[in-house]
Amino acid sequence: MMSKAKRPPPDPVAVLRGHRASVTDASFHPSKPILFSGSSDGELRIWDVIQHRTVSSAWVHSAAHGIIAVATSPLIGTNKLISQGKDGTVKYWDIEEGDLSRSLPLLTIKTNAYHFCKLSLVKEPVTNLEPTYREAETLDDAGGRAAGTPEEFSKPYEGETHLGGSSYVAVVGEESSVVEIWDLKTGERVVQLPQNSFADNPSFSSKERGMCMAVQAFLPSGSEGFLNILAGYEDGSMLWWDIRNPGLPITSMKFHSEPVLSLCIDGSCNGGISGAADNKIVIYNLDHPVGSCVVKNEIVLERPGISGTSVRPDCKIAATAGWDHRVRIYNYRKGSPLAILKYHHATCNSVSYSTDCKLMASTSEDATIALWELYPP
Amino acid sequence: MEEDTKIRRETESRLLEKVGEVITAIQAAKHVDQVIRALHSLAVLLFPLDSSLLSGSIDQPYRDQVLSVKAPSEKERSDSFQAFYQGAAFPALARVLLFDVASNWLACFPFSAQKHVYDVFFVNGVVNEVIQVLVPGLQQNRISGLNIDAVQANIERLLVLCLLENNGVCQMARKFGYLCKPRCVSDKKLREDVSRVAQIVTSVPDKARLTATPSLSSHSFFKQIILQLLSGVEAVTMSTKNEMDGTFLFIGETFSRICRRGSSDVLLREVTPQILRHVQSCLLSSNGRVSTDLIESNPGSQFWLKLMEVIVDSYAMERISEQLLNQLVAVDASDVEAYWTLWLLFNRLLKHQTSIRSIFLDKFLLWKVFPVSCLRWILQFAVLECPPTTNVQTESHVTDSLLDTVQRLAAVWSKREFVQSVSVEQQAYVTAGIGLCLEKMCKEELDKTKDVMHSILQGVSFRLESPAYLVRKMASSIALAFSKVIDPKNPLFLDEDSCNEENIDWEFGLTAPKKGTLSISNRMEKHTDELKTSITSELAKNSKYETNNMVNDNEKCKSKKLSVFELVDPDEIIDPAMLTCESVSDDNGEDNTSENSDSSSDSSLQPYDLTDDDMDLRRNFSQLVDVIGAMRKSDDADGVEKALDVAESLIRASPDELTHVTSDLVRTLVQIRCSDLAAEGEEESAEEKRQGALVALIVTCPFQSLDTLNKLLYSANVDVSQRIMILDVMTEAAQELAHTKTMKPKHQTGVLISTISEPQPWFLPSNAGPPGAGSWKEISGSGTPLKWSKSYERELPLKPSQIKIGKTRRWSLRSQNTQSHINWSQNKFPVYAAAFMLPAMQGFDKKRHGVDLLDRDFIVLGKLIYMLGVCMKCASMHPEASTLAPPLLDMLRVREICHHKEAYVRRAVLFAASCVLLALHPSYVASALIEGNVEISKGLEWIRLWSLEVADSETDRECYTMAMSCLQLHAEMALQASRALESAESTSSAKSVGLKSSLSRATIKIPYSNVQY
Repeated sequence: MMSKAKRPPPDPVAVLRGHRASVTDASFHPSKPILFSGSSDGELRIWDVIQHRTVSSAWVHSAAHGIIAVATSPLIGTNKLISQGKDGTVKYWDIEEGDLSRSLPLLTIKTNAYHFCKLSLVKEPVTNLEPTYREAETLDDAGGRAAGTPEEFSKPYEGETHLGGSSYVAVVGEESSVVEIWDLKTGERVVQLPQNSFADNPSFSSKERGMCMAVQAFLPSGSEGFLNILAGYEDGSMLWWDIRNPGLPITSMKFHSEPVLSLCIDGSCNGGISGAADNKIVIYNLDHPVGSCVVKNEIVLERPGISGTSVRPDCKIAATAGWDHRVRIYNYRKGSPLAILKYHHATCNSVSYSTDCKLMASTSEDATIALWELYPP
Repeated sequence: MEEDTKIRRETESRLLEKVGEVITAIQAAKHVDQVIRALHSLAVLLFPLDSSLLSGSIDQPYRDQVLSVKAPSEKERSDSFQAFYQGAAFPALARVLLFDVASNWLACFPFSAQKHVYDVFFVNGVVNEVIQVLVPGLQQNRISGLNIDAVQANIERLLVLCLLENNGVCQMARKFGYLCKPRCVSDKKLREDVSRVAQIVTSVPDKARLTATPSLSSHSFFKQIILQLLSGVEAVTMSTKNEMDGTFLFIGETFSRICRRGSSDVLLREVTPQILRHVQSCLLSSNGRVSTDLIESNPGSQFWLKLMEVIVDSYAMERISEQLLNQLVAVDASDVEAYWTLWLLFNRLLKHQTSIRSIFLDKFLLWKVFPVSCLRWILQFAVLECPPTTNVQTESHVTDSLLDTVQRLAAVWSKREFVQSVSVEQQAYVTAGIGLCLEKMCKEELDKTKDVMHSILQGVSFRLESPAYLVRKMASSIALAFSKVIDPKNPLFLDEDSCNEENIDWEFGLTAPKKGTLSISNRMEKHTDELKTSITSELAKNSKYETNNMVNDNEKCKSKKLSVFELVDPDEIIDPAMLTCESVSDDNGEDNTSENSDSSSDSSLQPYDLTDDDMDLRRNFSQLVDVIGAMRKSDDADGVEKALDVAESLIRASPDELTHVTSDLVRTLVQIRCSDLAAEGEEESAEEKRQGALVALIVTCPFQSLDTLNKLLYSANVDVSQRIMILDVMTEAAQELAHTKTMKPKHQTGVLISTISEPQPWFLPSNAGPPGAGSWKEISGSGTPLKWSKSYERELPLKPSQIKIGKTRRWSLRSQNTQSHINWSQNKFPVYAAAFMLPAMQGFDKKRHGVDLLDRDFIVLGKLIYMLGVCMKCASMHPEASTLAPPLLDMLRVREICHHKEAYVRRAVLFAASCVLLALHPSYVASALIEGNVEISKGLEWIRLWSLEVADSETDRECYTMAMSCLQLHAEMALQASRALESAESTSSAKSVGLKSSLSRATIKIPYSNVQY
């Protein structure tokens, strides 16, 4: 590993095949070695990432529209899953039984939005990086550590939801420049950003910025539990909203010259990374009290187009999924490139990290999901 | 005075009497000693002879007689000597001596007698007279009763003795000198004599027999004569200054005669070193500061100056000057030496004689081919008229003749006919002439001339279009020299090769002898290659030139700026952005250190190999339709390139839709501009891919693509390069089709309708199978007796390939059949030959907008004919060749084609003709003759006649060799055909008699044999 000669970039540790169409998104179970993936033909698959096998599969959205995004979060419950289809619906699933095909979703939100923007669940600062399902992988590693079922670990998260809780989902609404927050408990729309109905607000509009292409909800440490939203728009600009002031964003910035395609806030919620249709990846710091967003690193790419970004929960490395079929790994702190992963032979759609930072999944239009183990934490 | 003549007459008549006596004595002689005695009696009167020397060799009675002869006094002797040789006595005696004595008696003469009483008459006589008798004797070959061989051998021996061993020629020269001194002979008479004698002397080698001694061969004979003249006469000249006119006259006459007899090389090989030595000594003595006076006043120079003055024969003068130049090159003379040599010999003549001027300024510049160093000397001497070392070249009078020369050269050079009809060497020579002149000129001088600039530009521009590399090279060299005149700092390089050459190679590499003879096809292929490169390279030229300049400029700027940059500027404006940048990087640094301190894991983030290529990102086309679409988007260069990459393999896969898109695909491929889309330096590969794709298209889908290509070939929408490309592609495709090996199953003659009325019950399996199979037998089931189906078996014979080892056999429905039905078809081309050739042959003589094959686009015409030739070759020995040959020959016979002005086209025609000869099957030729197929026999006869004509009168060397090989092929073909004809006759004569008559209508000639069919 320390040898002078450059190591060739690694191959995926496993490739999950089974989807029959472009895999648009994948998300790890917050605690179990399980991966959820959705494809553009509407199929949702649940994978066992130890045995590399499909656990179950279900057509949860219509084949004509397909799935845009799948998401899990400890904040909405460990066995809960959100899927977003291009058919204008967001579905909230309970995967307790492990079989989605026979059950109905817990909740179906009709957003009536027919666009490409992936939804976002709320991200909370990770204070404790304890492994959550370590015993599920290797028993040796669990020695000396507090033992317990994943369910037990996840309980405190559920308890922590306060001030409106965190079981919210941020999606782009019917009006494609407007971000909407929906409450998963009630199935109602909580707020629209920008909120044009407020009388005292001299109608702030994000229309001229074009469609909202990427959205990320998070709870920065200083926000007292009020949601913050970061949204990227078609013209390359980004807006930072505080849910308490839906009329006006905290700040706006423009790092990109082309539509912002993906946003990811790091585990500490103090910064993030964004990818766009131009040839730049921008890593920035978010200073919540000041309300400023400062560019930390700007990485120029050879070939433009980043459709997915992800920061590993330990904030050490970040990954991007590129149109050029490559997954690129960067040192998140320095912004220096670490690896160019060539496996997919079609556009990569997304990358995501497991909660324990060990695995990374990349999805691609070539209907495969590749699992990678790089830089073990 | 009267007394003198009287005495002389008396002596003369006395001598004549004596000679008469001697002759009668000789004729009456019965013994050799009688002859000797008779001759001795005369010799004693003329020469100081010591009779005792003879005594040993003759018998007693005669010896006494000989010894008793009284020798006359000195005075008497010299008188009679004069009278003898000037009068009729000598010729009369000589005739007897040379013929009668030589053939009858001389062999019996003892050696001393031969020397003292026979040879003496010639060797010691007056050479001029002797020669006039001896030399004509060489040709008397029909005299009855004489031993001709002995007579001639004797004369030759005497000639060697007189002229060579006795320094006879030198004596003659001196003699002429004396003659003119007292003015005893009139000038005219002298000239006549001189010229007659010189003529006789120089004719010796030609009159001598082939078996004569080697010293009489023209080479060594002339060499010795020249040496005698040079060494002997030079010495004399030194002493007696003037009045050597006769001598010079003789030398000059002899030299010019030698030149006329084609031995100017021998002459100059001897003369040149002498002159050169003289010039060198002059140069040495003058310490490098040579002046014309100095050289003229040198006594040694006088000899040469005078000598050159007396040579009036302009032909000889031309040969001399030409050989002199060649010799100067051979001895590696320096420029200065060569100049002064030329000056010494020709300066006066050049000024006074127009013929010499025209030799130097016309013939040597336009019609002859010398090495380039010679050309330099010629220009220096005849045009610049100043020694090469002087720096002052722009004197007005000098410039005039230079400008005049340049103008004349350029006028010739810029004519298109010059390129078409003159050999390459000559072209290179004239090109070099212009180039060297241009190098001596400056812009103002060039401006003074009227048409030079115009004709040079014209000449350059049409040369650049030529298919021959050398011709283009000449154009670019001239362009370079020309641009240097116009603007010395900004030379124009039209050719990549010469980019870094400061001096232009005016010899164009022609001096190295070309060895070996390439086959016809090789030659043609070489040309196609050249052509390809030329098209692309020319396109790249301009841009390259510009970039070159840019680079140079940049470098200059850089070197300037570097020094500036090193100075510290106190007023430097600091860019705030730079400051922030620095601070940011500082921040990062802090960040890193802090991170490093709290977590060592960061060090584990060692980057992997970050090299990346985009090989996998190339767009992959899987449909031909996509390929066509991509190629049509000319603004997306990448897309076109990728489409080109995959096109060939997709076409080769031959998908079902190929036939439907062929036409579109062909059009699109032809229209692509490879030079536009590819990066510099990669045009070649793009071009190759495009052509590869087209070839693949023709091979996989011949009829459709050929249809389209042939339409495009004569359409106004394509340019010359595209037409050439189309023809290239067709050529390649024809070759590929001809050489493909395909595995195609033999047509299986299976029954389409199975008869049910087979002579066996329906439940039995069919009898089909290999021959020798046994009949079906029911297998009696061993196990249960109840069975709902029956099994049958039969015995099969072994396949030839099968060896019966062990028990395992393998059966399948269509296993072995395939093997036996594979047919290796070698040549797929003949089927398509007509589609290749006929449409292409139709439109060659059309002249429409943008299409003018016969005149302007002759390269296309050449390519077209070449393609047709290749097609013919590919179809050779197939019946299609025989049907296609007549129309092709008809086309070749068209006057505008076979007598095309450009050698390129003629070469192609020769190639096509020889392909026809190769392609026709002898039996077909034979049957065409028998059946009276006039078309084919006429065509073949035309090939023969035309090749003969070309071989006779062709300026282009390659055409000549190709015509020769064409003739050879014709001979072979004729031989084969005649053999086939003989066998056909032997069979047909039995059957029918009527065929015979038609045979006479067609003829086929076989060289080297008199048989005509």
